Amino acid sequence: MLEVEHLRKSFGGLTATNDVSFHVNEGEIVSIIGPNGAGKSTIFNLVTGVYRPDGGDVRFQGASIVGKSTNQIVGLGIARTFQNLRLFTQMTVLENVLVGQHHRLRSTWLSSVLRTPGYRRQERAMREAATEKLAFFGPRLQSFRLNQPVYVLSYANRRRTEVARAMATGAKLLLLDEPSAGMNPKETAEITQIIRRMRDEGGYTILLVEHKMNLVGEISDRVIVLDYGEKIAEGSYHDVVHDPLVIEAYLGKKAAVDRAEDEEGSGA
Amino acid sequence: MARVATPTAFDAIDPARRLRNLALTLVAIGVGVLVLWGLESLGSAKLTQALALFAVWGVATVSLNLINGTLGILSLGHHGFMLIGGYTTGLLILDEAARQRILTSARSTMTEQTLGISVGNMLQSLGLDALATPETLWFRYLLAIFFGGLLAAVAGLVVGIPSLRLRGDYLAIVTFGFGEIIRLSASTRLFSAYTNGALGFPGVTSEFGKSVWWTFGVLAFTVFVISKLKYSSYGRAMQAIREDEIAAQAMGVNVAYHKVLGFVISAFFAGVAGGLWVSWLGGVRLDFFLFQLTFFFLVAISAGGTGSITGVLLGTALVVFVRQYGDPLEETYSIQTWLYLAAGVLGLAAAGAFAFRSLRRLRPRLHWGALVLAGAAALAALVALIDPSAIEGTFRGFGMRAIFLSVLLIVIMVFRPEGMIGRAEFSWAALLREQRSGPTDEERAQDAWLSNPQLNPGGEGPRDDADATRDEGGR
Ligand SMILES: Nc1ncnc2c1ncn2[C@@H]1O[C@H](COP(=O)(O)OP(=O)(O)O)[C@@H](O)[C@H]1O
Ligand SMILES: [Mg+2]
Repeated sequence: MLEVEHLRKSFGGLTATNDVSFHVNEGEIVSIIGPNGAGKSTIFNLVTGVYRPDGGDVRFQGASIVGKSTNQIVGLGIARTFQNLRLFTQMTVLENVLVGQHHRLRSTWLSSVLRTPGYRRQERAMREAATEKLAFFGPRLQSFRLNQPVYVLSYANRRRTEVARAMATGAKLLLLDEPSAGMNPKETAEITQIIRRMRDEGGYTILLVEHKMNLVGEISDRVIVLDYGEKIAEGSYHDVVHDPLVIEAYLGKKAAVDRAEDEEGSGA
Repeated sequence: MARVATPTAFDAIDPARRLRNLALTLVAIGVGVLVLWGLESLGSAKLTQALALFAVWGVATVSLNLINGTLGILSLGHHGFMLIGGYTTGLLILDEAARQRILTSARSTMTEQTLGISVGNMLQSLGLDALATPETLWFRYLLAIFFGGLLAAVAGLVVGIPSLRLRGDYLAIVTFGFGEIIRLSASTRLFSAYTNGALGFPGVTSEFGKSVWWTFGVLAFTVFVISKLKYSSYGRAMQAIREDEIAAQAMGVNVAYHKVLGFVISAFFAGVAGGLWVSWLGGVRLDFFLFQLTFFFLVAISAGGTGSITGVLLGTALVVFVRQYGDPLEETYSIQTWLYLAAGVLGLAAAGAFAFRSLRRLRPRLHWGALVLAGAAALAALVALIDPSAIEGTFRGFGMRAIFLSVLLIVIMVFRPEGMIGRAEFSWAALLREQRSGPTDEERAQDAWLSNPQLNPGGEGPRDDADATRDEGGR
């Protein structure tokens, strides 16, 4: 579904993405992990057209999407959430999610002003779809919450609203940047199940960036590990967390060696 | 404070309610017409003029607010769009006598050819003589303000394009520059055959701009279009751009298109307002379109409530009232009277500060600032009382109106930065208290259950990051 090939991006002298290639198949949940500053969010920005790659290619459903604008890419079927929440804070929960659907509206501004039957029908359909996406989060974003402005919501509810908003765009591939950041363990467990249901029941393909390893381990079909802008490992969660390179990246060289020795010792 | 934002504002959901709202709106319009008719039949020319001016400026402020409030772009070039609409309208409906006077005037730079441009001549050349009679002037006037609006919309398209590359203050400066460019180029040789240069031309009929019926009719149309736009999917997209441009784009909103669309629609109505404005004034001149005009509109918008059409109209009423009824402020009074006035104003300010602090439960209630104000008031009153002979003479309050408006703006910005009514908007649902102002008790209980770890071990518990705001916990 998504193919990233030899992607490169640098900011001044800093190489944030260095020759990264990977792919995501339809119906998969793929996680990108790596230490802070490894370039995970940069990959999201490259795929969604926020940044332009210096080299390499991004293909979605067979066609290259490099050079397309962010909103065109949403139209093609890729939507995202942001690591540092970017909600429309003065607007209500429902309005936030409805904005995600606006690009699919087939009425001109004039027929919207005149409230033509066609526009009314679409508006109703948009509302139904929006509440349907919000229903993924159970009662947390229902009834009176729908008409609450986002600024009164808890951090966790804001994260949920952002995910619902991305779903509402009609995208098939969702890029979730740290969906559980700021959530407590209970909430994290809950969002883990929701992400799984988004794939199983909603039919979404999901690429996510996460720091919480229990979440990653529980739902990922595959895990990609980045360090200093390079892909250092890819595979099942189990394989990846036992990869010496990955341990080194997370714990430093010395710790990696110690740990390898420990394991040898215990094996012997 | 408001927990529930303005009504999610789509009126199409429940047909019965829609019908009821429509009926209520019709009744309200009927009442409004009766009130207007009553006010007009009082026969005060001054009042009628003030009412008409409110409607004319209302068209301008409501349209400016589409850019400033809904799109969230500070635009300072509205007077330029109004100028285009105003000159176009003026030229297109000039009557024969006025044409002859301009043509024979020695200082005029207009030619027979440019003076021949009129809706009347156009209609005649189309063989529609019936629409070129004095009785059908209203039709030609409507066409003229429509053309004026269209030309202004073209200018809006041109100004909208830099808005794609620039942001914030830089963009504000560009819009200001465009407004001035439009005004200055109207006086250049290139355009003076159409605009009569710095002189402008008199003789624009006041039949429409000073009629409450025409002006309020156009205002109603403007409010209808702009509010329906605001509460459509397009309006939501524009507000999303105001809130977070990057996020709006990442949700598929074509930011460039919606920004330019906002500018074009806003400029169209600014042009229409310009057409009403020249009719209100009875002529066309460059100094009718100074930046000051945009400044007044911005005061009205900020005072009323940025982003709220209701608030903007309230603010416009305030500004127009001060402009039309502020004459006493500018007259000549003895210095003793001015001192009494100063004492009154300072005393009121001190009392206001005291009331404000008491209301907000701030301590000490008597702030030293209020004491200073009260002291100054007492001093002024004492001087005026004790020794009137030492302060003989008079003083003319020249410019007091503008000062008053500016001070008013400062007071509002300090005490209520969101304007008189903030973002709130009038709606039948809100008026009839249908709009829920918060969760019901049941929902509150459910919410407490969901978020209380003791009641619901599986729900939201205490979180790890300390600065996370809780639901209902405020901003
Ligand atoms: N717009 C930018 N300009 C300059 N440097 C950037 C920019 N975006 C990201 N970077 C740098 O690129 C590196 C990778 O950042 P990022 O992708 O955000 O990391 P993370 O893996 O934590 O999400 C960091 O060193 C960051 O400082
Ligand atoms: Mg990141």
